[in-house]
Amino acid sequence: MKVKKIILASHGTAGARSAEQFALDHCLENDASLHQLLVVPDFWKGMMGDDWLNNAITQSRFGDYVESQLAREAADELDRLTQICEQAGVNYSNTVRLGKPAACLTSIAEQGEFDLVIIGSPRPKGISGYRSRMDLELLARSLTIPLMIVPYPQR
Amino acid sequence: MVYTKKHPALLIMGIIFVAIAYLAESGGMSGMIDYLKAGKYAGEMVGMGYAFGAIAVLVGLWHLIGSHSEGNLDYYLSSVAGAIFILLIAMLIRWYLAPLVAVISKGLGPVMGAKYLHQVLGLNYVVLGIVAGIIIVNVFRIPVWAENGVRLSRLGLKTGVILLGTLYSLAELQSLGKLSAIMVGFFVLGSVGLVLFLGKRKNIPNSMGGVLSAGMGVCGVSATVAAAPVVQAKAVEIAYTIGTILIWGVGCMFLFPVVGHMLDLGHIQFGAWAGTGILNSAQVAGAALAYQPDGIETLKVAEIFNITRVLFLPIIVLWLAVWYVKQEGGDETQKVNVGRVVFEKFPVFVLGFILMFAMSSTGVFAPAQHYKGKYFDNNVKESKLLKDEQVAVISGEAGKLQREDRKKAINSMLENRKIMSIDDETLIRGIYNAKIFSKGANKVLKGATKAVRHTAKKIKTFRQWITLLFAFGLTGLGMQITFASMKQAGGEPLIIGGIVGTVKAVLSLIVIVLFVSESI
Repeated sequence: MKVKKIILASHGTAGARSAEQFALDHCLENDASLHQLLVVPDFWKGMMGDDWLNNAITQSRFGDYVESQLAREAADELDRLTQICEQAGVNYSNTVRLGKPAACLTSIAEQGEFDLVIIGSPRPKGISGYRSRMDLELLARSLTIPLMIVPYPQR
Repeated sequence: MVYTKKHPALLIMGIIFVAIAYLAESGGMSGMIDYLKAGKYAGEMVGMGYAFGAIAVLVGLWHLIGSHSEGNLDYYLSSVAGAIFILLIAMLIRWYLAPLVAVISKGLGPVMGAKYLHQVLGLNYVVLGIVAGIIIVNVFRIPVWAENGVRLSRLGLKTGVILLGTLYSLAELQSLGKLSAIMVGFFVLGSVGLVLFLGKRKNIPNSMGGVLSAGMGVCGVSATVAAAPVVQAKAVEIAYTIGTILIWGVGCMFLFPVVGHMLDLGHIQFGAWAGTGILNSAQVAGAALAYQPDGIETLKVAEIFNITRVLFLPIIVLWLAVWYVKQEGGDETQKVNVGRVVFEKFPVFVLGFILMFAMSSTGVFAPAQHYKGKYFDNNVKESKLLKDEQVAVISGEAGKLQREDRKKAINSMLENRKIMSIDDETLIRGIYNAKIFSKGANKVLKGATKAVRHTAKKIKTFRQWITLLFAFGLTGLGMQITFASMKQAGGEPLIIGGIVGTVKAVLSLIVIVLFVSESI
């Protein structure tokens, strides 16, 4: 199978970076291009919880603040991989989506002419981070292109 | 953006409300109402069913066949669908599901003393409403046509608190205010301090310590929302904190009433404990109504504590802002805008509460000397006068009294077979509160005071509205608690939150059991 265009789901965690390194190596070996998908989990929509005491100004300030934080984190992550790809001479593009990781990935995979999907394996228990995991069953059932899961570092 | 969705849901809900009203009025569901022992709600089914049914049918027709364009009319009318959706769920639970749970629970027999399972677990319309809201948002999702209106639940709760202002007497507000200021002051400052201390020990970032201390110390998610931008919390820190608080809040809402029943806490004691020990303010109201579903005495106490907590919010946010800037090595006088923080965080609805209390005190809603919405009037019917055997019971125990004023009040009551003045009534209430007489005699005294105390019509209406607004508001808030956000609980915040939450709940319970009495 000739892989020319890889889609990488990465948001910068240790597992994702492991997948990222594997994808970069693969791109260099096969002269393939890399497309990064960064998903902002949709649980943020419900993160105001059951707050009812604050006024509209405070709620709006909180919403703007969280949005700016997430945007900054996403921008930092995209900048980081952009620089790595530039230095390595890999053709790079990206997409940022708000939603469920697996649903976003299958939707993007359907739209582009991709040959391979690469993701990191789930975070081991005890490692901190968002509880927003890739639904592997959904991916296995929905993807029409091969999926590669890269093991977590030091495993 | 056009908010109104062309959808038949609102129209259908309107027809359901009207059908309920018609069946309740015509006796079409009397068999079911009798079985559920829900006769006390029949009036509500008819009145609310027709009123809200008519609104829903009219606006629902407009949603379905009207042409909608961007603007205020579109925005406000689109929210009716979500509001009616919450109301329908809340009322179906209040009128049918909660009574059914009670019938089944009574069928199982008492489980703790004379209390049934649903009483011990607080499974009434409020708790079931919150649970239904949580199930709807997590299992079925909020329908798109209802999304806009679901947010109105916050307005419902705030309006409920404002109306609650009509039910306090000055003495009651003073006593509860003092108690809540001491309890909340001690435990808020204590929790904030403990979180910051533990945070330092565990080397968590200042931003995480700041946002967690506000959430754990003051009023849960609301405080986290207010403090996060001030201490520049990172997204993951906010997620951890809110997840931890929601899990604790929902857990405490179920746990507190059970412990309260086990310890047989009074309404004041439980309201004070819930108001101090439960992290999240929405669940304070939920637990209070779970503890006492057929009255609002516990809610009144708990809400005073909630109000005190929210009044502490601007102070704590300001403190954390100064603390954070200092910890990060900045100059606080330049960076913290004190006026803006206080102005933005001040809970305006508390002014509404105070205004309603002031109006109530002037006698707009009930005679000025009313106590808890009830006023003195001894023009009672012949049938309400003391009977011979009741006079004999009291006469037999009158010798137990030491104080002259109490003796006089009792003698005057025995002579006239009713209480003759508001002062006498206060003294007689003091006698049965002090439990000087036997149970039987106390029952007679209570009956005598009840005969001369009348609930003002407006206050009665306020009471009904308060109950409905809280049921509506809490069901709607339940629809905003997602498992995905609760699942974010983790990391150091979960450990620190667990320690501080447990210490706060246990210590406040000990203080309340030891020092707070039921007579305020």
